Amino acid sequence: MRKRKRSGIRRRYLKYTAALLGLALILSILGVGAYVRERLTQATLDKYEFMTERMGIALENLFQKSDEAMEECILYDDVQESLKNQGLEAVNTIALSKYFAYIDLDHVADYCYIDNKGNVYSKSYSDVTSETIAQSGFEDYLGPEYSRTKWFWAKDTLFGTGDEALFIGRYVRSLDYAHEPGMLFFKMEDSFLDDITGMSQELVSEAVIGLVDGEGQLCLSWAPDGFQTGDEIGKMVASKIGGTQAAGMFLNGEKMQGGIVSAYLDENSGLTVFSFVPDSVLNKALVPVLLVPVVIYLFVIAIAVVLSIYFSRRFTKPIQVISDAMTGFDGNNFDRTIQLNTHTELDEIGQSYNAMLQNIRRLLEEIKAQEQELRHTELNMLISQINPHFLYNTLDTIYMLARINKEETTMRMIQALSKYLRLSLSKGSEIVTVEDELENVKSYMEIQQIRNQDLFEYSIDCQVDESSAYVLKLILQPLVENAVKYGFCDIFQGGIIKISVFEKDRDLYLRVYNNGMPMEMSVMEKINSMNTMSFSQLKECFPDKKNGYGVMNIMTRLRLKYGEGAGLFCEVYKDGTACTVKIPGGGQEDACEK
Amino acid sequence: MHVKNNRWGKGLLSAGVLLSMTLSGCSQNTGQIEAQTQEVSIPVILIVDSSTGIKNEEALIERFNEMYDGKWQADVQWIMETEEEYRQNLKRQNVTDTLPAIITDLRMLPAFYYMMIQDGRIEELSDEILKDEEWMDMIEPAVLEACSEDDGSIYLSPISTAAFSCSGVFWNEELFAQAGIEEFPDTWEEFWDCCQRLEECGITPLALHTEGTAWAPMLFATAEVASTEEGAEFMEQFYPETYQNDSGLRIARTLQRLFSYTTEDALYTDFDVSYENFFSGKAAMIPNGYWMMDQIPEEWQDKVRFSAFPENKLISSPETFGWAIISGYSEEVKEGAAALFKLRTQMNMEEKEALFAQDPKTMIPAQRDYIQVYKNGPQLVPNYQVKWNSILQEETLGEILPELAQGKMTPEEFTQKEDESIRKFLEEQ
Repeated sequence: MRKRKRSGIRRRYLKYTAALLGLALILSILGVGAYVRERLTQATLDKYEFMTERMGIALENLFQKSDEAMEECILYDDVQESLKNQGLEAVNTIALSKYFAYIDLDHVADYCYIDNKGNVYSKSYSDVTSETIAQSGFEDYLGPEYSRTKWFWAKDTLFGTGDEALFIGRYVRSLDYAHEPGMLFFKMEDSFLDDITGMSQELVSEAVIGLVDGEGQLCLSWAPDGFQTGDEIGKMVASKIGGTQAAGMFLNGEKMQGGIVSAYLDENSGLTVFSFVPDSVLNKALVPVLLVPVVIYLFVIAIAVVLSIYFSRRFTKPIQVISDAMTGFDGNNFDRTIQLNTHTELDEIGQSYNAMLQNIRRLLEEIKAQEQELRHTELNMLISQINPHFLYNTLDTIYMLARINKEETTMRMIQALSKYLRLSLSKGSEIVTVEDELENVKSYMEIQQIRNQDLFEYSIDCQVDESSAYVLKLILQPLVENAVKYGFCDIFQGGIIKISVFEKDRDLYLRVYNNGMPMEMSVMEKINSMNTMSFSQLKECFPDKKNGYGVMNIMTRLRLKYGEGAGLFCEVYKDGTACTVKIPGGGQEDACEK
Repeated sequence: MHVKNNRWGKGLLSAGVLLSMTLSGCSQNTGQIEAQTQEVSIPVILIVDSSTGIKNEEALIERFNEMYDGKWQADVQWIMETEEEYRQNLKRQNVTDTLPAIITDLRMLPAFYYMMIQDGRIEELSDEILKDEEWMDMIEPAVLEACSEDDGSIYLSPISTAAFSCSGVFWNEELFAQAGIEEFPDTWEEFWDCCQRLEECGITPLALHTEGTAWAPMLFATAEVASTEEGAEFMEQFYPETYQNDSGLRIARTLQRLFSYTTEDALYTDFDVSYENFFSGKAAMIPNGYWMMDQIPEEWQDKVRFSAFPENKLISSPETFGWAIISGYSEEVKEGAAALFKLRTQMNMEEKEALFAQDPKTMIPAQRDYIQVYKNGPQLVPNYQVKWNSILQEETLGEILPELAQGKMTPEEFTQKEDESIRKFLEEQ
């Protein structure tokens, strides 16, 4: 857990960096790959289309050559003579039979010519007859045209070999007369078509090429070495392109399963030459092209990761220091501060942490001091709870002696003191009614009036139900004491103390006004500022313990009892000073610290 | 966790957008397919005259291609060969199925013409012509009749006016003058006398040849035989049954006599040699049709005159110009070919009207003579080429005429050979 936290930011940083670079790599590969693939594929296709077109043109030339050879045969004198009614003499018949073996057409496996009288002219050993020709059905291949050279791929039912081969046939018409035509057939060797592929050896070595006739029948196919499925591909392509009527290049790199097909139809021969370039050939050029950016990107990623680790360490190291300091803080060692010099916001975090640490230390010390003081207070209270009875009895005795001696002033003072002490000591509760508090302060003021003849007069204006409003006891006495002590320090008579109790905005206010010497402004500001001070600061306000103890006592008690809502506010007038205690909650009995 | 998902979502969205932008950048615009009307090409083979270099029917082709630009285009292959070579090539192109869409001179090969009909190789045009009133208004009845078969079918387009289908004699006025002859002879007797006088003045009277159906001597001989009633009837016969009759013998004798007044190189040569002999001043007369007007060299135009054969005879068969359309072509091509025929008819009619309305003073002498002869009511003798069998014309005449001319064969033997050709022809028919 600790380890994971320590490397969290860096790990995330590295993770996101790697993800970003990875995304860039993927997008680049996809983008560049798609673009390059398109271009390379197009370039490759152009090459194979060109070669396919060249094969198509070679096919056309081959057909043209066969057509010219056929024409030569048709126009041959003996052939024309054979069509005339008289026919040929025997010697010319033999010569004509041999003539076809020497025409300007290579790779003729066999031939036969039948004139319009049923005479057959063929190789000497051939047993082709007019019946054989009729039964072969080859005349059907010559079509309805008057006399066109026809190429057809068929089973050899004419010469009896039974193998499939390319045949060239044509009607032979008379130049001058409307005679029935003769028919001329050549059976071609497979090597006859080698001219088609001869100019495109590269194509043959990489692609499947083949010939398809007009019926969609695969005639021949060539596949590269090791390309076992060449014939199957040929049949697949044949089924796709069979029956097309568009002459020339009618398929330019059309996508098929496993590769791309280009096809060229020679409308004269009716044969289509096609090339099927497998995807492997198309991708062959793509791999090295894509490999380069992949390698570059992988190198960039590696560099980026190293740099990321380096830079992330620089940034995460101070964070790690802060983290270690915070997690390592045991609540006792306040000297373990953070010293950073990164010139970033992290320095401020470190300084704030250090300040926070010092605040915690001070608060802890305050708490300790307060606890100690509380214990002393509690002890003193226990002690004071033992003495009151003795003190009351003694005062009663003194009172009795004063009455015996008829000392009225003494009697009045003892009565006031007794009343004051009874309220202060005998009632253990910290909260008293406003009535009791006013009674207490009255006793105190009477004592002060006895002590200082004619020094001051006092008045009390209570605007609340004094029996149902509650207040922290002995809260007014220190204020009156300060008024007498500091306000009337320079006069001997004519002093006025006005005590008023009122409620405002659901808060209870107790105000003590004296017309003595106004409070110094600095003192007023200091007292007012104490409302926002911490307890420890309150104690620091009057360090000499000679002055301000009463104010600090009131402030502390109010804060302890009522919390931040309570306060003591002083106002300085040109003819006096007013100190007001604010009790939040309107002086309810259950009001307490919130 | 939710925030994290959103971030990934945004990341994926951004990646998707970037990817799509990347890929879209690689995409190509699809091309727009534009509809386009295909101009129909009409293959035609026409002759370039080997002597003058003039392309036959060039004006017609230019006007047609201009008029039907974008719809039809006459794609002409101009070949330099004689008319005879052209006709023989028609046969070769037919058996090799490489004929152009339009062929000419077909009627000059009677057997071949009928074979083409029989084999369905040429289009029957009666529907095209007879239903087109505008076209019909341009066709002379005699021409239409000559181009029609007995059953009313029309295979040869009547593209020519009869006025331009007549053949007579072109003669060198200068050479005639050297012999003291001012006018072309009116009778055959005067004709022979004229030949004699020219020869006596050291001038070869006739430019003749023996190849190519012996066109020039046969024009003289067949015009001469028509001077008799029997001979005129003989020339009307289609595929005569025999030449061993008076008319046949008369033609043979005339031929023999004609070759006694010709150049030494007349034997075994074609019409082009005769043409060269005439227009080089080596011979004083050459028979031919109106179409040779265009082939008269400029420097010869003032001294060449035209006359009917003696006794006011012209050889004429308007159907010899009949052009035909090959059936194997598409309807669009055949429709264009018919339009070309119609234009040819129109141009020929316009040419005739212009010529006949033209001030004779602006014409060359031969043209002026031709119009005068044509208007003078000549006797029209059918062209033997449309009447006689092809074996006689294309094989026999070329073999036996030199023999006859050299006296190695008598007229009787000559007619026997002619009859043998009939037998051969009938055998093949």
